[in-house]
Amino acid sequence: MTLHIVSKSPYSSNALADCIGTFAEGDALLLIEDGVYALSGRMPEGIAVSPVYCLRADVEARGLTVPASIQAIDDGRWVQLCLEHNPIVSWFN
Amino acid sequence: MAKRTLALCRQAPYGSALAREGLEAVLAAAAMDQAPDLLLLRDGAFQLLGDQSPEGIGQKSLQRNLLALPMFGVERVYVCERSLMERGIDAKRIEIPGVKVELVLDTGSFIAAYDTVLSF
Amino acid sequence: MKFSLAVYSAPHSSQSAASALRFAQALLAQGHQLYRVFFYCDGVHNGSSIAAPPQDEFDLVGQWQALQRQHQLDLVICIAAAQRRGVLSEREAERLEKPAANLADGFELAGLGQLADAVANSDRLVTFGG
Repeated sequence: MTLHIVSKSPYSSNALADCIGTFAEGDALLLIEDGVYALSGRMPEGIAVSPVYCLRADVEARGLTVPASIQAIDDGRWVQLCLEHNPIVSWFN
Repeated sequence: MAKRTLALCRQAPYGSALAREGLEAVLAAAAMDQAPDLLLLRDGAFQLLGDQSPEGIGQKSLQRNLLALPMFGVERVYVCERSLMERGIDAKRIEIPGVKVELVLDTGSFIAAYDTVLSF
Repeated sequence: MKFSLAVYSAPHSSQSAASALRFAQALLAQGHQLYRVFFYCDGVHNGSSIAAPPQDEFDLVGQWQALQRQHQLDLVICIAAAQRRGVLSEREAERLEKPAANLADGFELAGLGQLADAVANSDRLVTFGG
């Protein structure tokens, strides 16, 4: 099952919307870099897929807080997610 | 069993280099008999428009790369049907000689069938 | 497990190349193998020896080199993308009659076939772009 990695803000890019549009049962979503701006405002309610992870370092760097529906992870867990899933699809534009 | 690889191309041509460099990577892999499948998604569908004449902006035509695909054994290109519709591109008017253009409706399950996905 | 990374972004322009480095460090720390890092598109700038970031900023090129020395990594820069953007080895600079070479130690120039080879020989490929 696919791991989708989104690295652009949903407020300025279609990356997250495109990713969700191709999300299949059993897939997982990881928000990194500016992708973690999906944690802001009402955006998390609009993410209709699960599980959703975010990189804690990227969240903390940007002064965001993590809602209960999303799991904050470290780099080691990121590697683990890549072991548990295949293929890995990056959405960066 | 050979690994199944997908090149997922989401960029329109000319405005950024990624569409061109993506196709170059596909052609290079195909030249090594490791041709990935090619799925054009979202603005990547604009790569299929006919009559591209980029001479005026000082670029080479990206259509030439698409036309080269069958010479490297790539005889099939997948394109997201919804992406075509959203952009007002008529699927019937898309033509790459020697290449069969196949429409994909459920991109999620399509992508999940691959071992490796190269995003461009 | 065997990983390869494809890096499309220049250092100091976006966060992406730095994320790739962190991911590489994390997977190596867990004892996984990094078969190859393939630098493509603007990612070729990761191999420029003449980048000179301020002392108090992260030196991404230096960090890649340190990781390469520690783990004997295969850091490959796409030669076609590098020629367009001005990242040249001594040999390429001479051949193309350019006034300088700037390929950093620890990196090598090679063709796009090395990306296809990385795909064929790795269990996982992660792309860092944008």
